[in-house]
Amino acid sequence: MFSKILIANRGEIALRILRACRTIGIGAVVAYSEADRDSLAAQLADEAICIGPSDARRSYLSAPAVISAAVVTGCDAIHPGYGFLSEDEGFADVVRAHGLTFIGPSAEVLERFASKEATRRLLEAHGLRTIPGSGTLRDEAHALEEAERISYPVLIKPSGGGGGKGMRLVRTARELEAIFKVSRSEAKAAFGDDALYMEKYLGDNRHVEIQVAVDRFGHAIHLGERDCSVQRRHQKIIEETPSPALTEAERQDLCQRAVRAVVEAGYENLGTLEFLVDSRGEAYFIEINCRIQVEHPITEMCTGIDLIALQIKIAAGEPLGINQADVVSRGHAIEFRILAEDPSNDFRPQGGQVLGYLAPGGPGVRMDSHLYPGYEVPPYYDSLLGKLSVWAPDRAQAIARGDAALRELLVDGLTTNIELHRAILANQVFIDGKVTTDLLDRVGSAPFVAAGNR
Amino acid sequence: MPENRNGATSAAPRGAAKADPADAVSGEGPDVRAERDHLAISRLADDLLPALIAKLTATGLGEIEVREGSWKARLRRPAGSDEARRVAAWSSLDGHSGHGHASGRGPAASHGRGAAEERDRRAREEEEAEELARLPIVATSPAVGIYQPRKDLAVGMRVRAGDRIGTVDVLGVREDVIAPADGVIGSSMAEAGEAVEYGQELIRIELPENARGLHADGADREAAAVLGEA
Repeated sequence: MFSKILIANRGEIALRILRACRTIGIGAVVAYSEADRDSLAAQLADEAICIGPSDARRSYLSAPAVISAAVVTGCDAIHPGYGFLSEDEGFADVVRAHGLTFIGPSAEVLERFASKEATRRLLEAHGLRTIPGSGTLRDEAHALEEAERISYPVLIKPSGGGGGKGMRLVRTARELEAIFKVSRSEAKAAFGDDALYMEKYLGDNRHVEIQVAVDRFGHAIHLGERDCSVQRRHQKIIEETPSPALTEAERQDLCQRAVRAVVEAGYENLGTLEFLVDSRGEAYFIEINCRIQVEHPITEMCTGIDLIALQIKIAAGEPLGINQADVVSRGHAIEFRILAEDPSNDFRPQGGQVLGYLAPGGPGVRMDSHLYPGYEVPPYYDSLLGKLSVWAPDRAQAIARGDAALRELLVDGLTTNIELHRAILANQVFIDGKVTTDLLDRVGSAPFVAAGNR
Repeated sequence: MPENRNGATSAAPRGAAKADPADAVSGEGPDVRAERDHLAISRLADDLLPALIAKLTATGLGEIEVREGSWKARLRRPAGSDEARRVAAWSSLDGHSGHGHASGRGPAASHGRGAAEERDRRAREEEEAEELARLPIVATSPAVGIYQPRKDLAVGMRVRAGDRIGTVDVLGVREDVIAPADGVIGSSMAEAGEAVEYGQELIRIELPENARGLHADGADREAAAVLGEA
């Protein structure tokens, strides 16, 4: 096992990793940027080190800065969290070259799963259904040809992208002609790679993902699924487990096929396979996330397994130590992403000082947040202020606990989406478990908030 | 401008920038003037800005302005920041509140500026410039790594803003520790071979007695600082 881990991330996930390290008795050093000097993780850590200026490219995204910090503080492993360098195979490789361990899949595994398109082909070959789609689009003519073959509507996606960024819905050949070049240059600007591919757009679909864990010896378990259908512009905002979209038989089938496919494809460490489930209950594999996910707490609440601790253990080369039979998912959990943005003002991110902060409590309530009264939210990073997760024996009670906790949660000084969450919980479509990924974008958030206020 | 302009500028030795004020009045052509302007801006950006940033950070001043010839560089802290408030409080404790740093300026300025007021302002600026000159300046680490001061460095040695006074080794790549201002080497705040973090204070740069020492080359450059105005 490691003696000391460098936490190369910020915000709530830095705090979450610090807590895991303390729980399992491993030392931790929090690496922070100049803008995060006052962050909670940096303050709570036994050891913290400033790795660069606020610009993430010179701090959290700088491999030399992160690795140098690990070396000079005597760490033997680096936890990258999510985002930033978490799925960068080049970084994982350099970490290893400096005699350190990257907490995540090895560079080879990351490389094998780096291209979404290649990953879809790979896992298709191992028994997962994928959405009809194209290979890399050579040019506009090729794109038009492929769209004709697959049939409109289609989604244009950057091969190097993630999290729904840079994705575009195209309904006609004319639209495709209008956006192709723009999408390409946007992909280049955002991900450094202008490769695009195309997928059939499934109308009323749900986003369901399977959490897997695979150790170095090829032993694997799944930890059930998460339903992330409540999205806004392809960004998840509420996640729950189990998914209301699947029957028990469908769930078992999908989880088993997923875990079998990744093991056969040579995956290692924690991973999440994302699927779109259509209105007939067919699940199509879309991508794999080779990192800890933002929404991991709901899986932890239902299974009782500390996923970060498990991830560290696998990276240290230890066997999983548990079998599938040991993984028992109980009850229902829901996570709300608390964001510093204004739903009534086109979701514009809001920075500023937290004047007051009060985290909710009670049975089955968990708050993962780096906020504290007086904390100044830096404007340089994402708008995630924290994650409120609730657990209850069944979905109806989880919704009730969620609403009670959201009412209690106080974030004074910033505009947040707390009221939007409450409005969604009160909406009949959500209560019926029938939210599809495009609902919020189609209806707009205003009707939700307006209905919620009545 | 032809491409070699950039090359010439970046390769220009410090001496070129220093010589600049001397031929300020000669009747040179637009090309030469452009070249001089370029060098002046380049010097402002390369040498003075890091020094200004260091001072602004170290002192918590609201605003600092430096003039060189007809060029001006001004750094202003965002209004209402904690730091500005803290400094305002600190300066009032220090007996400077009578000069009305933060509070006296706004309303008075809005009534237009009489000659007496202008005199006041100048006096205040001079005083503040002197105050600024007395504040310690510190060279900080450009990266996280292992620190080594320059071998020949000694306390009392004269350095110019922009001089390399040490390095920080980042995984075998050396990044320069730069003197943020003209002055003399003061005490060390980190040992050779020590692990340092980004922004860590490494070496004090002592300034000569007053602000005029900041531009000891006798150029027509003056420094002025305004406390807590931001």
